[in-house]
Amino acid sequence: MKLQTLKSIIEKKKNKSEFAIITNLTTGESEIFEKNKQLSKEMETYSSQIEEFFKSKKNGVIENTEIFVETYVLPIKVIVVGAVHIAQYLVDFAKSLNFEISIIDPRGYFASEQRFPDMKIINKWPDEAFKEIETNENTALVALTHDPKIDDPALQHALKKKFYYIGALGSKKTHENRCQRLKEAGFSDEQINLIHGPIGIKLGGRSAPEIALSIIAQLVSKTYNKK
Amino acid sequence: MKNSFDEKILEEAHDWVKANQKVVLATVIQTWGSSPRQVGSRMIVNEKGDFSGSVSGGCVESAVVRECIGLIKDNKPCKKIEFKVSNESAWEVGLACGGEIAVYLEQVN
Repeated sequence: MKLQTLKSIIEKKKNKSEFAIITNLTTGESEIFEKNKQLSKEMETYSSQIEEFFKSKKNGVIENTEIFVETYVLPIKVIVVGAVHIAQYLVDFAKSLNFEISIIDPRGYFASEQRFPDMKIINKWPDEAFKEIETNENTALVALTHDPKIDDPALQHALKKKFYYIGALGSKKTHENRCQRLKEAGFSDEQINLIHGPIGIKLGGRSAPEIALSIIAQLVSKTYNKK
Repeated sequence: MKNSFDEKILEEAHDWVKANQKVVLATVIQTWGSSPRQVGSRMIVNEKGDFSGSVSGGCVESAVVRECIGLIKDNKPCKKIEFKVSNESAWEVGLACGGEIAVYLEQVN
């Protein structure tokens, strides 16, 4: 691989674009494929197969050829509400995963640069913060403040936008109260049941890193269940 | 959806190049049967034999390192190698899991 190609791949990953690397295994020549980008003459012959790999987000060698396709998918957006202790560990765990975390917390003393170096922190109330983030069915929400004033608006937004994963921290009792409030706000049982509460898989641990681990485990598992 | 992981191996490869090391990318391009790592998994190797990442569960990495050093010495751009089921009675490299993998080696230049 040419150093230039390696540099472009890293750059494209940073800029969060979707692309594929096409390599001729015989010559070692490789090029970058993107939507609406003209392929080289040599690769043009295989454009429909390359499109197919790209669409299904798969890696592999095109049948009966020496052409290898490697697709790069966008990281999954995970919105964490509450710049709390657990969130610090979530950020750590997510580093080796393909998750892009944004933290929302209107409380300035929590959402400090010092507690979360190099992190995207939106120091606003959820309703305001969501105006700055594009969200859809491929977004996940982890609500960690267990303060209805902060968590509830975020949960309502996530339900309306049909996030594929919604989890909320809090005991069973806290969660029951939360469900009741959402019901009163007009959400159906079916919608409310989509919320994972208490959040995380049952690991048994109760410390901040253990809870963060149980949340990440649930998030990964739900990510693979997703269409 | 695939890839909830991002091992940042290419980023590391770039760092190695910047540190004036010769780097070979080794990528799993095909698998048959049960193999430990999926297609697209990658490791990097420099001329001294330092490596990062993986193409199996530790079964064939040592052989991949040797092949990569050879590629750098011979100054060849690329090479494809295949690994099959290991023979348990012999001291040879292979995949104990019973799978087969093809690994593509390419120099960064």
